[in-house]
Amino acid sequence: MINSALRLILSGILLILFQILILNNIQFSGYVNPYVYIMIIMMIPSLTPAWLLLIAAFSAGLVIDLFSGSPGMHAGATVLAAFSRPFVLRLIAPRDGYESGSDLSLAVYGLRWFFIYASAIVLIHHTALFFLEVFRFEGFFRTILRILVSSAFTLGFILLLEYYRKGK
Amino acid sequence: MRNLLNFLLKYNNLIVFLILEGIAFYLLANGNHYHNSRIVNGFQGITRGVNERISNTKTYLSLREINSDLAAQNSSLRDTLRALKQEQSIGFTDVTDTVAGQKYKYTPARVINNSVNRQKNYFTIDKGTRQGIQPDMAVICGNSAAGMIVGCSENFSVAISMLNLDFRLSARLKSNGYFGSLTWDGKNYRYALLNEIPQHIALNVGDTIETTAYSAIFPEGIPIGTVDEYKKSGSDFYVIKVALFTDFKKLNYVDVIADLQRDERLGLENRFK
Repeated sequence: MINSALRLILSGILLILFQILILNNIQFSGYVNPYVYIMIIMMIPSLTPAWLLLIAAFSAGLVIDLFSGSPGMHAGATVLAAFSRPFVLRLIAPRDGYESGSDLSLAVYGLRWFFIYASAIVLIHHTALFFLEVFRFEGFFRTILRILVSSAFTLGFILLLEYYRKGK
Repeated sequence: MRNLLNFLLKYNNLIVFLILEGIAFYLLANGNHYHNSRIVNGFQGITRGVNERISNTKTYLSLREINSDLAAQNSSLRDTLRALKQEQSIGFTDVTDTVAGQKYKYTPARVINNSVNRQKNYFTIDKGTRQGIQPDMAVICGNSAAGMIVGCSENFSVAISMLNLDFRLSARLKSNGYFGSLTWDGKNYRYALLNEIPQHIALNVGDTIETTAYSAIFPEGIPIGTVDEYKKSGSDFYVIKVALFTDFKKLNYVDVIADLQRDERLGLENRFK
Protein backbone atom coordinates (compact mmCIF):
# COMPACT_ATOMS: atom_id res chain seq x y z
CA MET A 1 0.00 0.00 0.00
CA ILE A 2 2.64 2.46 1.09
CA ASN A 3 4.84 1.22 -1.65
CA SER A 4 2.23 1.89 -4.34
CA ALA A 5 1.52 5.38 -2.90
CA LEU A 6 5.24 6.12 -3.03
CA ARG A 7 5.42 4.94 -6.62
CA LEU A 8 2.45 7.13 -7.49
CA ILE A 9 4.08 10.21 -5.99
CA LEU A 10 7.36 9.42 -7.73
CA SER A 11 5.71 9.04 -11.14
CA GLY A 12 3.78 12.28 -10.46
CA ILE A 13 7.06 14.12 -9.89
CA LEU A 14 8.56 12.56 -13.02
CA LEU A 15 5.52 13.65 -15.06
CA ILE A 16 5.77 17.21 -13.75
CA LEU A 17 9.49 17.34 -14.54
CA PHE A 18 8.78 15.97 -18.03
CA GLN A 19 6.17 18.69 -18.49
CA ILE A 20 8.31 21.57 -17.21
CA LEU A 21 11.64 20.59 -18.72
CA ILE A 22 10.56 19.31 -22.11
CA LEU A 23 6.94 19.87 -23.11
CA ASN A 24 6.75 23.48 -21.91
CA ASN A 25 9.60 24.30 -24.27
CA ILE A 26 7.89 22.92 -27.34
CA GLN A 27 6.63 25.74 -29.51
CA PHE A 28 4.87 24.32 -32.51
CA SER A 29 2.86 26.79 -34.66
CA GLY A 30 1.12 28.26 -31.62
CA TYR A 31 -1.57 25.58 -31.59
CA VAL A 32 0.14 22.61 -30.03
CA ASN A 33 0.77 22.70 -26.29
CA PRO A 34 0.53 19.16 -24.93
CA TYR A 35 -0.06 18.98 -21.18
CA VAL A 36 0.77 15.42 -20.31
CA TYR A 37 1.14 16.04 -16.57
CA ILE A 38 -2.64 15.62 -16.12
CA MET A 39 -1.98 11.89 -16.29
CA ILE A 40 -1.45 12.32 -12.56
CA ILE A 41 -5.18 12.88 -12.16
CA MET A 42 -5.96 9.75 -14.17
CA MET A 43 -3.44 7.51 -12.42
CA ILE A 44 -4.75 8.02 -8.90
CA PRO A 45 -6.54 4.73 -8.03
CA SER A 46 -10.33 4.47 -8.06
CA LEU A 47 -12.24 5.10 -4.84
CA THR A 48 -9.64 7.52 -3.54
CA PRO A 49 -11.52 10.13 -1.45
CA ALA A 50 -12.55 12.97 -3.74
CA TRP A 51 -11.07 15.66 -1.51
CA LEU A 52 -7.64 13.99 -1.65
CA LEU A 53 -7.91 13.84 -5.43
CA LEU A 54 -8.86 17.53 -5.58
CA ILE A 55 -5.96 18.59 -3.38
CA ALA A 56 -3.48 16.45 -5.33
CA ALA A 57 -4.72 17.95 -8.59
CA PHE A 58 -4.54 21.46 -7.17
CA SER A 59 -0.95 20.96 -5.98
CA ALA A 60 0.14 19.54 -9.32
CA GLY A 61 -1.48 22.44 -11.20
CA LEU A 62 0.08 24.95 -8.83
CA VAL A 63 3.57 23.53 -9.33
CA ILE A 64 3.16 23.72 -13.11
CA ASP A 65 1.84 27.28 -12.69
CA LEU A 66 4.85 28.31 -10.66
CA PHE A 67 7.21 27.07 -13.33
CA SER A 68 5.33 28.51 -16.29
CA GLY A 69 4.60 31.88 -14.67
CA SER A 70 0.82 31.71 -14.89
CA PRO A 71 -0.50 31.56 -11.31
CA GLY A 72 -3.93 29.97 -10.98
CA MET A 73 -4.39 28.94 -14.60
CA HIS A 74 -3.34 25.29 -14.45
CA ALA A 75 -4.53 24.93 -10.87
CA GLY A 76 -8.06 26.00 -11.86
CA ALA A 77 -8.15 23.62 -14.83
CA THR A 78 -6.75 20.59 -12.99
CA VAL A 79 -9.13 21.05 -10.05
CA LEU A 80 -12.05 21.12 -12.48
CA ALA A 81 -10.78 17.97 -14.20
CA ALA A 82 -10.32 16.21 -10.85
CA PHE A 83 -13.79 17.27 -9.73
CA SER A 84 -15.37 15.82 -12.86
CA ARG A 85 -13.39 12.55 -12.69
CA PRO A 86 -15.94 10.66 -10.50
CA PHE A 87 -18.75 11.68 -12.85
CA VAL A 88 -16.77 10.52 -15.88
CA LEU A 89 -15.95 7.23 -14.17
CA ARG A 90 -19.61 6.66 -13.31
CA LEU A 91 -20.67 7.34 -16.89
CA ILE A 92 -18.28 4.87 -18.46
CA ALA A 93 -18.29 2.23 -15.70
CA PRO A 94 -17.66 -1.31 -16.99
CA ARG A 95 -20.46 -3.83 -16.47
CA ASP A 96 -19.10 -5.25 -13.21
CA GLY A 97 -17.98 -1.89 -11.76
CA TYR A 98 -14.57 -0.87 -10.52
CA GLU A 99 -12.44 -2.89 -8.17
CA SER A 100 -11.73 -0.98 -4.99
CA GLY A 101 -8.39 0.76 -5.20
CA SER A 102 -7.68 -0.63 -8.66
CA ASP A 103 -5.25 1.02 -11.01
CA LEU A 104 -7.29 2.95 -13.58
CA SER A 105 -5.03 1.97 -16.44
CA LEU A 106 -5.06 0.61 -19.94
CA ALA A 107 -3.58 -2.63 -18.65
CA VAL A 108 -6.54 -3.30 -16.35
CA TYR A 109 -9.56 -1.99 -18.25
CA GLY A 110 -8.51 -2.19 -21.91
CA LEU A 111 -7.74 0.25 -24.67
CA ARG A 112 -11.32 1.25 -25.56
CA TRP A 113 -12.26 2.11 -21.99
CA PHE A 114 -9.01 3.93 -21.30
CA PHE A 115 -9.25 5.94 -24.52
CA ILE A 116 -12.72 7.25 -23.63
CA TYR A 117 -11.67 7.93 -20.04
CA ALA A 118 -8.50 9.81 -21.02
CA SER A 119 -10.15 11.84 -23.79
CA ALA A 120 -12.93 12.99 -21.46
CA ILE A 121 -10.49 14.16 -18.76
CA VAL A 122 -8.09 15.74 -21.29
CA LEU A 123 -10.91 17.59 -23.07
CA ILE A 124 -12.34 18.95 -19.81
CA HIS A 125 -8.91 20.05 -18.63
CA HIS A 126 -7.85 21.62 -21.93
CA THR A 127 -11.15 23.43 -22.43
CA ALA A 128 -10.89 25.00 -18.97
CA LEU A 129 -7.19 25.77 -19.39
CA PHE A 130 -7.32 27.40 -22.82
CA PHE A 131 -10.36 29.49 -22.01
CA LEU A 132 -8.74 30.60 -18.76
CA GLU A 133 -5.66 31.50 -20.77
CA VAL A 134 -7.37 33.69 -23.39
CA PHE A 135 -10.04 34.82 -20.90
CA ARG A 136 -12.44 36.03 -23.55
CA PHE A 137 -14.98 34.63 -25.97
CA GLU A 138 -13.81 36.58 -28.98
CA GLY A 139 -12.00 34.24 -31.37
CA PHE A 140 -14.07 31.39 -29.93
CA PHE A 141 -13.42 28.95 -32.78
CA ARG A 142 -9.70 29.62 -32.79
CA THR A 143 -9.63 28.67 -29.11
CA ILE A 144 -11.69 25.55 -29.85
CA LEU A 145 -9.23 24.58 -32.56
CA ARG A 146 -6.30 25.02 -30.17
CA ILE A 147 -8.11 22.88 -27.59
CA LEU A 148 -8.76 20.06 -30.06
CA VAL A 149 -5.27 20.00 -31.57
CA SER A 150 -3.53 20.15 -28.18
CA SER A 151 -5.88 17.50 -26.77
CA ALA A 152 -4.99 15.14 -29.61
CA PHE A 153 -1.27 15.57 -28.92
CA THR A 154 -1.72 15.18 -25.15
CA LEU A 155 -3.78 12.07 -25.71
CA GLY A 156 -1.12 10.63 -28.01
CA PHE A 157 1.57 11.14 -25.38
CA ILE A 158 -0.62 9.66 -22.66
CA LEU A 159 -1.38 6.53 -24.69
CA LEU A 160 2.34 6.07 -25.41
CA LEU A 161 3.13 6.34 -21.69
CA GLU A 162 0.31 3.93 -20.84
CA TYR A 163 1.66 1.31 -23.26
CA TYR A 164 5.08 1.83 -21.67
CA ARG A 165 3.54 1.24 -18.23
CA LYS A 166 1.73 -1.84 -19.50
CA GLY A 167 4.88 -3.26 -21.00
CA LYS A 168 6.82 -2.96 -17.77
CA MET B 1 -25.95 22.63 13.99
CA ARG B 2 -26.53 18.95 13.24
CA ASN B 3 -28.16 19.86 9.97
CA LEU B 4 -25.25 22.09 9.13
CA LEU B 5 -22.76 19.28 9.84
CA ASN B 6 -24.81 16.88 7.74
CA PHE B 7 -24.88 19.42 4.97
CA LEU B 8 -21.12 19.90 5.13
CA LEU B 9 -20.55 16.13 5.14
CA LYS B 10 -22.86 15.58 2.22
CA TYR B 11 -21.34 18.29 0.06
CA ASN B 12 -17.75 18.21 1.32
CA ASN B 13 -16.35 17.43 -2.12
CA LEU B 14 -18.23 20.29 -3.69
CA ILE B 15 -17.02 22.61 -0.92
CA VAL B 16 -13.38 21.55 -1.32
CA PHE B 17 -13.80 22.00 -5.07
CA LEU B 18 -15.23 25.50 -4.71
CA ILE B 19 -12.55 26.56 -2.22
CA LEU B 20 -9.73 25.33 -4.46
CA GLU B 21 -11.25 26.96 -7.54
CA GLY B 22 -11.66 30.14 -5.53
CA ILE B 23 -7.95 30.10 -4.65
CA ALA B 24 -7.08 29.42 -8.29
CA PHE B 25 -9.19 32.35 -9.48
CA TYR B 26 -7.74 34.60 -6.83
CA LEU B 27 -4.23 33.70 -8.02
CA LEU B 28 -5.29 34.12 -11.63
CA ALA B 29 -6.72 37.56 -11.04
CA ASN B 30 -3.84 38.79 -8.90
CA GLY B 31 -0.84 37.12 -10.50
CA ASN B 32 -1.47 37.84 -14.17
CA HIS B 33 -1.58 41.40 -15.46
CA TYR B 34 -3.67 40.42 -18.44
CA HIS B 35 -6.38 38.62 -16.47
CA ASN B 36 -6.38 41.31 -13.83
CA SER B 37 -6.96 44.07 -16.36
CA ARG B 38 -9.66 42.05 -18.12
CA ILE B 39 -11.53 41.60 -14.84
CA VAL B 40 -11.08 45.19 -13.71
CA ASN B 41 -12.18 46.48 -17.12
CA GLY B 42 -15.24 44.27 -17.00
CA PHE B 43 -16.28 45.73 -13.67
CA GLN B 44 -15.52 49.26 -14.80
CA GLY B 45 -17.69 48.77 -17.87
CA ILE B 46 -20.60 48.02 -15.57
CA THR B 47 -19.97 50.85 -13.11
CA ARG B 48 -19.35 53.36 -15.90
CA GLY B 49 -22.77 52.65 -17.36
CA VAL B 50 -24.38 53.13 -13.95
CA ASN B 51 -22.37 56.29 -13.30
CA GLU B 52 -23.48 57.77 -16.59
CA ARG B 53 -27.10 57.04 -15.85
CA ILE B 54 -26.86 58.58 -12.37
CA SER B 55 -25.27 61.72 -13.70
CA ASN B 56 -27.89 61.96 -16.45
CA THR B 57 -30.60 61.98 -13.83
CA LYS B 58 -28.73 64.48 -11.70
CA THR B 59 -28.32 66.80 -14.68
CA TYR B 60 -31.99 66.59 -15.42
CA LEU B 61 -32.90 67.47 -11.85
CA SER B 62 -30.65 70.53 -11.79
CA LEU B 63 -31.69 71.89 -15.18
CA ARG B 64 -33.36 74.92 -13.63
CA GLU B 65 -30.17 75.95 -11.87
CA ILE B 66 -28.06 75.36 -14.96
CA ASN B 67 -30.49 77.42 -16.96
CA SER B 68 -30.19 80.40 -14.66
CA ASP B 69 -26.39 80.04 -14.62
CA LEU B 70 -26.35 80.08 -18.40
CA ALA B 71 -28.66 83.09 -18.49
CA ALA B 72 -26.33 84.95 -16.13
CA GLN B 73 -23.32 83.99 -18.21
CA ASN B 74 -25.13 85.06 -21.37
CA SER B 75 -25.90 88.45 -19.99
CA SER B 76 -22.35 89.02 -18.78
CA LEU B 77 -21.05 88.01 -22.21
CA ARG B 78 -23.49 90.39 -23.80
CA ASP B 79 -22.18 93.10 -21.47
CA THR B 80 -18.62 92.40 -22.56
CA LEU B 81 -19.64 92.40 -26.19
CA ARG B 82 -21.34 95.75 -25.76
CA ALA B 83 -18.26 97.17 -24.07
CA LEU B 84 -15.99 95.89 -26.82
CA LYS B 85 -18.25 97.30 -29.52
CA GLN B 86 -18.19 100.62 -27.74
CA GLU B 87 -14.42 100.59 -27.70
CA GLN B 88 -14.36 99.85 -31.37
CA SER B 89 -16.73 102.59 -32.25
CA ILE B 90 -14.63 105.07 -30.33
CA GLY B 91 -11.84 104.65 -32.82
CA PHE B 92 -10.07 101.33 -32.67
CA THR B 93 -9.97 99.34 -35.86
CA ASP B 94 -10.29 95.62 -36.10
CA VAL B 95 -7.00 93.95 -37.07
CA THR B 96 -6.79 90.27 -37.89
CA ASP B 97 -3.71 89.00 -36.12
CA THR B 98 -2.27 86.52 -38.61
CA VAL B 99 1.03 86.08 -36.77
CA ALA B 100 -0.15 84.87 -33.39
CA GLY B 101 -3.28 83.02 -34.44
CA GLN B 102 -5.57 81.51 -31.88
CA LYS B 103 -3.93 80.75 -28.55
CA TYR B 104 -6.60 78.90 -26.58
CA LYS B 105 -9.30 76.54 -27.68
CA TYR B 106 -12.32 75.73 -25.50
CA THR B 107 -14.17 72.43 -25.53
CA PRO B 108 -17.36 72.02 -23.48
CA ALA B 109 -17.74 68.76 -21.58
CA ARG B 110 -19.94 67.17 -18.95
CA VAL B 111 -18.77 65.77 -15.65
CA ILE B 112 -19.99 62.18 -15.32
CA ASN B 113 -18.20 61.14 -12.14
CA ASN B 114 -16.95 63.29 -9.30
CA SER B 115 -16.06 63.20 -5.64
CA VAL B 116 -15.23 65.79 -2.99
CA ASN B 117 -14.93 63.67 0.13
CA ARG B 118 -11.61 61.90 -0.49
CA GLN B 119 -8.11 63.22 0.06
CA LYS B 120 -7.28 62.70 -3.60
CA ASN B 121 -10.30 63.65 -5.64
CA TYR B 122 -10.60 63.14 -9.37
CA PHE B 123 -13.47 63.69 -11.74
CA THR B 124 -14.33 62.10 -15.08
CA ILE B 125 -15.62 63.99 -18.11
CA ASP B 126 -17.37 62.63 -21.18
CA LYS B 127 -14.84 63.78 -23.78
CA GLY B 128 -11.58 62.08 -24.70
CA THR B 129 -8.81 61.94 -27.28
CA ARG B 130 -11.37 61.55 -30.04
CA GLN B 131 -12.67 65.02 -29.21
CA GLY B 132 -9.14 66.44 -28.98
CA ILE B 133 -8.65 66.25 -25.22
CA GLN B 134 -5.07 65.61 -24.08
CA PRO B 135 -3.42 65.34 -20.65
CA ASP B 136 -2.22 68.63 -19.12
CA MET B 137 -5.15 70.68 -20.34
CA ALA B 138 -6.92 73.04 -17.95
CA VAL B 139 -10.51 72.47 -16.85
CA ILE B 140 -12.69 75.42 -15.83
CA CYS B 141 -16.24 75.53 -14.59
CA GLY B 142 -18.19 78.59 -15.62
CA ASN B 143 -15.31 81.01 -15.48
CA SER B 144 -13.31 79.63 -12.57
CA ALA B 145 -10.55 77.06 -12.33
CA ALA B 146 -11.60 73.49 -11.54
CA GLY B 147 -8.79 71.06 -12.37
CA MET B 148 -6.43 69.61 -14.88
CA ILE B 149 -6.69 66.64 -17.27
CA VAL B 150 -4.40 63.79 -16.21
CA GLY B 151 -5.50 60.88 -18.37
CA CYS B 152 -7.59 60.24 -21.47
CA SER B 153 -9.19 57.29 -23.17
CA GLU B 154 -10.96 57.56 -26.51
CA ASN B 155 -14.19 58.96 -25.16
CA PHE B 156 -13.48 59.84 -21.54
CA SER B 157 -10.92 61.82 -19.60
CA VAL B 158 -9.99 61.91 -15.96
CA ALA B 159 -9.07 65.24 -14.42
CA ILE B 160 -7.32 65.84 -11.13
CA SER B 161 -9.62 68.05 -9.08
CA MET B 162 -8.33 71.11 -7.24
CA LEU B 163 -9.48 69.16 -4.20
CA ASN B 164 -6.52 66.78 -4.39
CA LEU B 165 -3.51 66.77 -2.11
CA ASP B 166 -1.27 66.36 -5.16
CA PHE B 167 -2.72 69.36 -6.98
CA ARG B 168 -0.43 72.41 -7.33
CA LEU B 169 -1.37 75.56 -9.18
CA SER B 170 0.53 78.77 -9.65
CA ALA B 171 -1.81 81.56 -8.51
CA ARG B 172 -1.50 85.29 -7.87
CA LEU B 173 -3.26 88.19 -6.22
CA LYS B 174 -5.17 90.11 -8.82
CA SER B 175 -4.57 93.43 -7.10
CA ASN B 176 -0.78 93.47 -7.05
CA GLY B 177 0.41 90.47 -9.04
CA TYR B 178 2.34 88.68 -6.25
CA PHE B 179 2.22 84.98 -6.98
CA GLY B 180 2.38 81.84 -4.87
CA SER B 181 1.33 78.24 -5.09
CA LEU B 182 -2.18 77.05 -4.41
CA THR B 183 -2.76 73.72 -2.68
CA TRP B 184 -5.56 71.95 -0.90
CA ASP B 185 -5.23 70.83 2.73
CA GLY B 186 -7.79 68.04 2.46
CA LYS B 187 -10.18 69.56 4.99
CA ASN B 188 -13.00 71.54 3.41
CA TYR B 189 -14.13 71.35 -0.19
CA ARG B 190 -14.93 75.08 -0.27
CA TYR B 191 -11.44 76.31 0.67
CA ALA B 192 -7.86 75.99 -0.60
CA LEU B 193 -4.57 77.39 0.67
CA LEU B 194 -2.29 79.92 -1.03
CA ASN B 195 1.31 79.82 0.15
CA GLU B 196 4.51 81.72 -0.55
CA ILE B 197 3.03 85.22 -0.56
CA PRO B 198 5.61 87.38 1.27
CA GLN B 199 4.47 89.13 4.45
CA HIS B 200 5.50 92.64 3.50
CA ILE B 201 2.67 93.18 1.06
CA ALA B 202 -0.75 94.50 2.01
CA LEU B 203 -3.54 91.93 1.93
CA ASN B 204 -7.29 92.33 2.32
CA VAL B 205 -10.06 89.86 2.91
CA GLY B 206 -12.00 89.61 -0.33
CA ASP B 207 -9.02 90.08 -2.66
CA THR B 208 -9.38 88.01 -5.81
CA ILE B 209 -6.95 85.18 -6.54
CA GLU B 210 -6.42 84.25 -10.18
CA THR B 211 -4.22 81.95 -12.25
CA THR B 212 -0.87 82.91 -13.75
CA ALA B 213 0.43 81.74 -17.10
CA TYR B 214 3.56 80.22 -15.56
CA SER B 215 2.35 76.64 -15.66
CA ALA B 216 1.61 76.61 -19.42
CA ILE B 217 -1.64 74.89 -18.53
CA PHE B 218 -4.06 77.55 -17.40
CA PRO B 219 -4.44 80.80 -19.31
CA GLU B 220 -3.59 83.90 -17.35
CA GLY B 221 -6.25 85.55 -15.21
CA ILE B 222 -8.75 82.75 -14.68
CA PRO B 223 -10.40 83.54 -11.30
CA ILE B 224 -9.87 80.96 -8.55
CA GLY B 225 -11.38 82.44 -5.42
CA THR B 226 -11.20 85.21 -2.85
CA VAL B 227 -9.09 85.66 0.27
CA ASP B 228 -11.20 84.40 3.14
CA GLU B 229 -8.71 84.85 5.96
CA TYR B 230 -4.96 85.10 6.29
CA LYS B 231 -2.41 84.34 8.98
CA LYS B 232 1.20 85.24 9.43
CA SER B 233 3.02 81.97 9.88
CA GLY B 234 6.41 81.57 11.56
CA SER B 235 8.27 81.98 8.28
CA ASP B 236 8.24 85.04 6.06
CA PHE B 237 5.10 84.03 4.24
CA TYR B 238 1.37 84.37 4.74
CA VAL B 239 -0.86 81.35 4.95
CA ILE B 240 -3.92 82.45 3.02
CA LYS B 241 -7.23 80.62 3.11
CA VAL B 242 -8.92 81.00 -0.25
CA ALA B 243 -12.69 80.60 -0.68
CA LEU B 244 -13.02 78.85 -4.04
CA PHE B 245 -15.40 80.15 -6.68
CA THR B 246 -16.05 76.68 -8.05
CA ASP B 247 -18.54 74.62 -6.09
CA PHE B 248 -17.18 71.12 -6.61
CA LYS B 249 -20.30 69.53 -5.17
CA LYS B 250 -22.33 70.60 -8.18
CA LEU B 251 -19.68 70.38 -10.86
CA ASN B 252 -21.63 69.63 -14.01
CA TYR B 253 -20.76 71.45 -17.19
CA VAL B 254 -17.09 72.34 -17.61
CA ASP B 255 -14.86 73.70 -20.33
CA VAL B 256 -11.53 72.16 -21.24
CA ILE B 257 -8.93 74.68 -22.37
CA ALA B 258 -6.26 73.62 -24.83
CA ASP B 259 -3.19 75.83 -25.10
CA LEU B 260 -2.44 75.64 -28.81
CA GLN B 261 1.04 77.10 -28.39
CA ARG B 262 2.04 74.94 -25.44
CA ASP B 263 4.37 72.62 -27.34
CA GLU B 264 6.16 75.53 -28.94
CA ARG B 265 6.62 77.25 -25.59
CA LEU B 266 7.79 74.16 -23.70
CA GLY B 267 10.13 73.25 -26.54
CA LEU B 268 11.77 76.62 -26.31
CA GLU B 269 11.92 76.57 -22.51
CA ASN B 270 13.44 73.10 -22.43
CA ARG B 271 16.39 74.29 -24.46
CA PHE B 272 17.49 76.49 -21.57
CA LYS B 273 17.13 73.96 -18.77
